[in-house]
Amino acid sequence: MKKKRMLSLLLAGILALSLLAGCGDKAPDNTQAPSTQAPSAQTPEDTKAPAAAPVELNVVTSYGGDDGNRKNYENAVASYEAATGNTILDASSSSNEEWKAKVLTDFETGTEPDVLFFFTNADAEPFIKAGKVVDIAAIRAEYPDYAGNMKDSMLAVASDGKSYAVPSSGFWENMFVNTKVLADCGVAVPGPDYTWDQFLTDCETIKAKGYAPIACSLFEVPHYWFEFAVMNNGTLENQLDVPAEATDAVGQKWAAALGDIKDLYERGYFPANTLTATDAETVQLFGDGDAAFLIDGSWKVNHFVDNYGDALENFAISYVPAKGQRTAGQAIGGISMGYFITKKAWDDPAKREAAVAFVEHMTSDDVMSTFVTTEVTALKNGAAPSGLNPLQQSAADANANITGVVGAVQDTITSEAKMDLFGNVQNVVTGAMSAEDAVASAIALN
Amino acid sequence: MNASSTLYKRKGPLVIFLVPAFLFLILFLYYPFVQNIINSFSDITGLGAPASGLNTPWYANYVTLFSDPKLRTALGNTVLLTVCTVVFQVGIALILALLVDSIRVGAQLFRTLYFFPIVISATALGLMFNLIFLYNGGMLNQLLTNLGLITENIDWKDPSHFMATMFAPVMWQYVGFYFVIMITGLNNISQDLYEAAALDGCTGLHRVRYITLPLLRNVLCTCLVLAITGALKVFDLPWVMFGAGMPQDQGWLTGTYMYDQTFNRGNVDYGSTIAILIVVLGVVLSNVANRVFRPRHDI
Repeated sequence: MKKKRMLSLLLAGILALSLLAGCGDKAPDNTQAPSTQAPSAQTPEDTKAPAAAPVELNVVTSYGGDDGNRKNYENAVASYEAATGNTILDASSSSNEEWKAKVLTDFETGTEPDVLFFFTNADAEPFIKAGKVVDIAAIRAEYPDYAGNMKDSMLAVASDGKSYAVPSSGFWENMFVNTKVLADCGVAVPGPDYTWDQFLTDCETIKAKGYAPIACSLFEVPHYWFEFAVMNNGTLENQLDVPAEATDAVGQKWAAALGDIKDLYERGYFPANTLTATDAETVQLFGDGDAAFLIDGSWKVNHFVDNYGDALENFAISYVPAKGQRTAGQAIGGISMGYFITKKAWDDPAKREAAVAFVEHMTSDDVMSTFVTTEVTALKNGAAPSGLNPLQQSAADANANITGVVGAVQDTITSEAKMDLFGNVQNVVTGAMSAEDAVASAIALN
Repeated sequence: MNASSTLYKRKGPLVIFLVPAFLFLILFLYYPFVQNIINSFSDITGLGAPASGLNTPWYANYVTLFSDPKLRTALGNTVLLTVCTVVFQVGIALILALLVDSIRVGAQLFRTLYFFPIVISATALGLMFNLIFLYNGGMLNQLLTNLGLITENIDWKDPSHFMATMFAPVMWQYVGFYFVIMITGLNNISQDLYEAAALDGCTGLHRVRYITLPLLRNVLCTCLVLAITGALKVFDLPWVMFGAGMPQDQGWLTGTYMYDQTFNRGNVDYGSTIAILIVVLGVVLSNVANRVFRPRHDI
């Protein structure tokens, strides 16, 4: 009887212990002495013989999925791992609103990565305000050459006046055209003087030929068209203004922009399944030669290089049609993303140096040059891309005619407002909601 | 009095054994549930973010609950999914079980084949069905085109077709689960009864009507209760296939709407309110199902 009681107690104890086993939070291994290596500018070559034991770094970037720079990113990570012996635990994804929300959630639940490649605009404010990332000045106090190859004037400044992210390559958004489709329809590749009326005429011709004039998923990525539609109803200077209410001038401008998209939808210029297709599906439609126009960003160039490498001459970078005061040479662009080091990694002596070395490696002149083709950078020496392919050359040619660039207006509003606004585009174009109501709904959440 | 009865009379060891599970439930079920109720009255704008006080008025989310058209859509779709689950999942599983039970060769093969979808993750199934229902180059559209049944591709996710496109994979995924339960139930019916019935001239559908179904009643009741409560929790497969409310906010389920509000929009307090609604709905419907389909102990 006594034996059974003892056995019962023993088993219950084991059960209770196993229950609590997962609750323990393994403290960072602080027993390891901090590296005595003098803080200095670290290049991959310098880190070939690391003083500390190899560490694992959790890294989150937007170089996941079908990102055009995925291969370059993988190569850069591999060269860092080879040089340092450290391991990168990569949890990258494609950039979209869901990914942004997940990153912010990770910060709020204490599961943020060690290094994060993320947007430097209002999207980053929640974790900056929460003190979850380390500012560049604080890092430079220990590593004076950190981000030393960057122009300080181009570092993004947060609302507290500090800079946190080391900028990567910039971006541009413009219109990709399928030249084969245009040729088949007898439509000329648009130039920097392309007008909205010409565009409507071209779309009608293309549609009559049986192609989808515009490749776009209004369900998933209506923001590309929204950005330019807003610019078409305003000016470069007031592009980033945010409405205080739907009835003010900016609110009316946004409503007019939504109205333009609705007009294109009603004319049947978007793919038949634009309200149920994903971005990947409509991009494929364009790539496969079933659609003529696609507004997308510089990150999409390498997607076509990777997936349509033997038919790059079928694609070109052109200009988004203009109306009102805007000219087609005005586009969306800038530097909107950069590498953050989180407080969690910084406070971990084992990871601090590895994180700094990783960011320095990823933003070094050599690595950046592999990511950059036609985008602007903050590098003091500039990037040195080599061997531009026909599509990249086309982008460079188009960029040469760009007369004005401004950031994306979607970056000036909160994530919830953005989700609401772009989620309602499908309701606006189908007439289920008025453009004014969609703007009012979004502004109420901003 | 033997030793084992003494053990069960002494409640101490039993209590000790129950404590870990009880602690587990408190920690991971009751505490989050109570916190969720508090959250539904609070103002929380990000997952993990602290509440910035109570809503004004404190029951604001519950007022929104009754005026939110998307939630009404979600509730309607979820109820419809529940009905379809009962009719199709359990119904098809019953027919398949009766058919497989009546064959001698290959029964084991069919058991494995029908159960197989259960072991595939819902995400993988969602991606697979996305390819099947793809607009351009999807398997179904290609098949129908090649058969000459359609001349233009069908958008299987548009407002006219999305319901079937969403529900069919969900039905298909779990048919095997109920099929296996029913096959087990059928195996428990004594062959003597069938033989006696055969001697009296009862065969075929009469055999099913007067012997199999009455004796399978308790198993069917269990399946129906499981199907109803399971349908209320469906989330992963529709989310992978349809995302946020596709098409045009008509494709919401209570689960996907709660997820979107909480994780995508950061509207945590409203997400918590929807979660409470789901719990209430689950408790009410499962109680109703339990009363309607109460197992009989005389079978």
